[in-house]
Amino acid sequence: MKVAVKQWHAVAYWKWDTGATTEQDANADEDAEDDVCGICRVSFEGCCPTCKMPGDDCPLIWGQCTHVFHMHCLLKWLNTASSKQQCPMDRRTWVTAERKVDR
Amino acid sequence: MLKIWSMKKNEETAAKKKPKVSAAQIRLQKDLTELEEFKTMTTDFPDPADLLHFNLIITPDEGFYKGGKFLFSFNISTNYPHEPPKVKCMQKIYHPNVDTEGNVCLNILREDWKPVLNLNAILVGLQFLFLEPNAEDPLNKEAAEELRRDREAFAKNASLSMRGGTIRGQTYERVLATP
Repeated sequence: MKVAVKQWHAVAYWKWDTGATTEQDANADEDAEDDVCGICRVSFEGCCPTCKMPGDDCPLIWGQCTHVFHMHCLLKWLNTASSKQQCPMDRRTWVTAERKVDR
Repeated sequence: MLKIWSMKKNEETAAKKKPKVSAAQIRLQKDLTELEEFKTMTTDFPDPADLLHFNLIITPDEGFYKGGKFLFSFNISTNYPHEPPKVKCMQKIYHPNVDTEGNVCLNILREDWKPVLNLNAILVGLQFLFLEPNAEDPLNKEAAEELRRDREAFAKNASLSMRGGTIRGQTYERVLATP
C-alpha cells in the first residue's frame, strides 16, 4: 500500500520549567496542585487574573525557597503591607531567584 | 508567527468586550468547587449570583458547643485572595475567641492570612475554634479566663449561654440546633 501525505498539521505545546521533574510528572495527575499558581489557582501555563494572554506577557517568578508563582500575583501580594515581604507558602522572606531553583 | 500576533490582537479586543468578572470571583469560584464536604458545616448563599457574600452554619457534633447552631457571615473583598474574607459571628455567643459584637479571633483571618489559603482553611479553622477554644488569644477575656481556670465551669456556662442564659450580666442568644 502506498500512502501519499497530502497535508499535515504540526502541533506543539509549551510548558514553564517549574521544576516538576519527570518522576513527579508520573504522578502529576493525582497532585495537580503542583501545576497551579498558589495565589490565583490558575495553571502556570494560563495567566494571572489581570492578564489576557499567557506566556511571556505573564511570566512566572521563582523564589530561592523554590516556590513558584505568576509574577503578577506574587508582586501584588508583596505590595500589600500584610505580606511582610514573605513567601505565601513558607513565610520565609521572599528572595527572587534568577531562575528555577533545584529542589 | 505573524498569525499568532494577529490572533493575540483579536483576543485582546475580544477580551475588552467581555463583561468583567473580578479576579476575586474567579478565585472564589475555584475555592467553592474545591470546598470539602463537612458534616458539621453548610454554606448558604442568600443571593446565588453574589458569591462574595454568604453565610456559614456550624453545628458542632462534639465539644463544649455540641448541640449549638452558629451562624457566620462571610464578606469577601474584591482584593481576595490578597485580603482575607471578613468573617463575623451573627449571634451573641459566649466564646473566648468571639466577642459580643461577633468579631472572631482566628489567626488566619488576621495577621497570618496568606493568599495561598482558601475557604477550606478558614472553615476548618472556625470549626476548630468550637472544638478547642483558645484561651491564650482571647476576645472575650472573662470566658478565656474561666476556660483556663476551670474547664468544668466553662463547659456549664457555654451550655447555659447556648440556651439563652445570662452570664455575669451578659445575656446570650439562644443558639440551640433543636428548637
